[in-house]
Amino acid sequence: MIAMVIKELKLMAREKGNFFFLILMPLIFIVVFGSIFNQANSQTLTVSVHDLDQTAASKALIKQIDTIKGFKVTQENHTSVANQVKQIKAGKLSSLVVIDRGFSAGLRNGKANLHFYSDAAESSETAPIQAVLKNIVTGYQQQKLAHVLQAHGETEAQIKQTLMAPIQIQSVTENSKHVDFMSQIVPGYTVMFVFFIMNSMVRRFFQEKDSGMIARLQSTPLSPISYLIGMWVPAFLSVIIQCTVLLATGYFFYHLHLGNPLAVTLIVLCLALCGTGLGLCLALVVRSENQGLGITQLLTLGGAIVAGLWFPSDILPSFAQKIGYFTPQYWAMSSLQDVMIRGYGLSEIWLNLLVLLLIGLAGLAVALIRFKPFLRAAAH
Amino acid sequence: MKTILDVDDLTKTFGTNTVLDHISFSISRGSCYGLLGPNGAGKSTTMKLLTGILETPTGSIKILGHDVATARDMVQKVVGYVPQEITLYEKLSAEDNLIFFGGLYGLKGKQLKERIRTVLTDTGLLDRANDLVKTFSGGMKRRINIASALLHEPQILILDEPTVGIDPQSRNHIFGMIRRLRDAGVTIIYSTHYMEEVEALCDELAILDHGKMIAQGSLSDILDRFSQKAVYIENQNALGAEAYPAIKKITPHHQGLILECDQPLSLMRQLLDDAAAGKIGPLHAIELMKPSLEDVFLSLTGTRLRDE
Repeated sequence: MIAMVIKELKLMAREKGNFFFLILMPLIFIVVFGSIFNQANSQTLTVSVHDLDQTAASKALIKQIDTIKGFKVTQENHTSVANQVKQIKAGKLSSLVVIDRGFSAGLRNGKANLHFYSDAAESSETAPIQAVLKNIVTGYQQQKLAHVLQAHGETEAQIKQTLMAPIQIQSVTENSKHVDFMSQIVPGYTVMFVFFIMNSMVRRFFQEKDSGMIARLQSTPLSPISYLIGMWVPAFLSVIIQCTVLLATGYFFYHLHLGNPLAVTLIVLCLALCGTGLGLCLALVVRSENQGLGITQLLTLGGAIVAGLWFPSDILPSFAQKIGYFTPQYWAMSSLQDVMIRGYGLSEIWLNLLVLLLIGLAGLAVALIRFKPFLRAAAH
Repeated sequence: MKTILDVDDLTKTFGTNTVLDHISFSISRGSCYGLLGPNGAGKSTTMKLLTGILETPTGSIKILGHDVATARDMVQKVVGYVPQEITLYEKLSAEDNLIFFGGLYGLKGKQLKERIRTVLTDTGLLDRANDLVKTFSGGMKRRINIASALLHEPQILILDEPTVGIDPQSRNHIFGMIRRLRDAGVTIIYSTHYMEEVEALCDELAILDHGKMIAQGSLSDILDRFSQKAVYIENQNALGAEAYPAIKKITPHHQGLILECDQPLSLMRQLLDDAAAGKIGPLHAIELMKPSLEDVFLSLTGTRLRDE
């Protein structure tokens, strides 16, 4: 069995495809998506404004928008409003705020006008700008009310009390120091690419079968169970190395908070057992290599979506979330995020570990049952 | 010589297809035994049954007196099996492949190193030990394929068509290896569909066709029993068979005729005498037809081996 393990490790080390799929690909995904979403964190929305009024009041309004965090004003006075509206229709401009002539005078008599033109196809970008404008308008409304109340002789405290909204939102953010896009991306892609080990395992078993190696080895003193373990152990070790490299990349390059080291270690071990157990099962159950590779794609990519590996699963419809509970990826991902973001320990994630362990052991059990027929088929 | 392997009434079916039909044969220790037959005759199945790769359904196979079905551990230690396919890891070096196969037989340390050196020397590939197998020619791969079955010094070496698709130089090298092993007392079981290989290497042989054993015995015995004796002549005049009652059949062949008879030497002498006397015109060529296994196979099955 030791000879088998050593030989498989040597083969794995020389198989460039393994390195690419198990280490390089997830690293590329982490780096690329990490860069994109980290940039998205600091993204600002551009608010195009055409000031037809050109008064102190209109300039104050523009300054007020510009000072809001995440928004940047660009003045578009060089061309006509009609031309800019055409650009919106053509999809070249997403929105335009037009401060009408007489805005300043209108403020005084309560009839100031703003026009907001927007591209219906860009609602995700224009909705925040519209919300900001509504907020500003509400602010003007409150100022007006305050003046009226002041004119009626109310004190500042009374005015403040009157204008206070009946509902106050008390925003409390838990664990905020550990939550960022990397706490989604690093564990997400780590879990996703672990299950690509099934590809390697299916391919290896079919190479061995098709080359006649399995038949030949049956003429040697190598016992069938030693062969099976000899094929499984290197795959198990490679998943552990894969997880270690990916999580270490997150830790050292993106300051990912790993949480309880023992808990993370146990998750990785159970995940490795689960991925390789399913891989072994698949390799011995499917009738052809292509069938095995197809099923692997379905499990890894389909599982990644419903288990929330690419984005938080709570944005999915509830039925999709429920499907996610039946995937090992969900239990692995939620346990990693529980440890990394919420600071959970073993006592809180034991159920996740148990599910991963049971799925892995079930895979190994099916593999054991299927191994004898597989050997018989390989002998012919 | 003492029998090392005894096969009795072996039958093997795959589904409804009978691939071996009541096969029996014995192999003497230290001999080179040939299994000759076209593709699909049942040679590879026989070899896989001998090594215990396939389970024995009916009949028995005994190696050194032990039943292969119940004493697989013992069989695996005394038998070396070289399959028809090149079963090596192409991305590993020749040495790494041998380390792996040696490890399966429990060899390690100095003993393993020495055995690897010995088999690499025997195969003439010692200087390529550290090269990846994928850089080897077909013949070199075949030689390493054989070397990997010799590491544990088996008493019986089973070779399933070990020279398929290789160059003459590698074939000669393999022949040399097999002869040296036989001289060292290793019993060789060699399957092929090349009759000249059996003729060159084997003391005894069995001929298989469609799962049935159609002939077996020593090479000379089989040739004597089953090949047609004949004389080949080339002369300008038609030769009347009626003039030579000893001639059983006349068959045109190349530029001349094959004259089948029971006593070819007597017929040759008579033809030479008649030619000298001017009775049959001048002979441009006359030769004794050497009996071959090709003729044996043809006479037994009605088909040529290579036509299959």
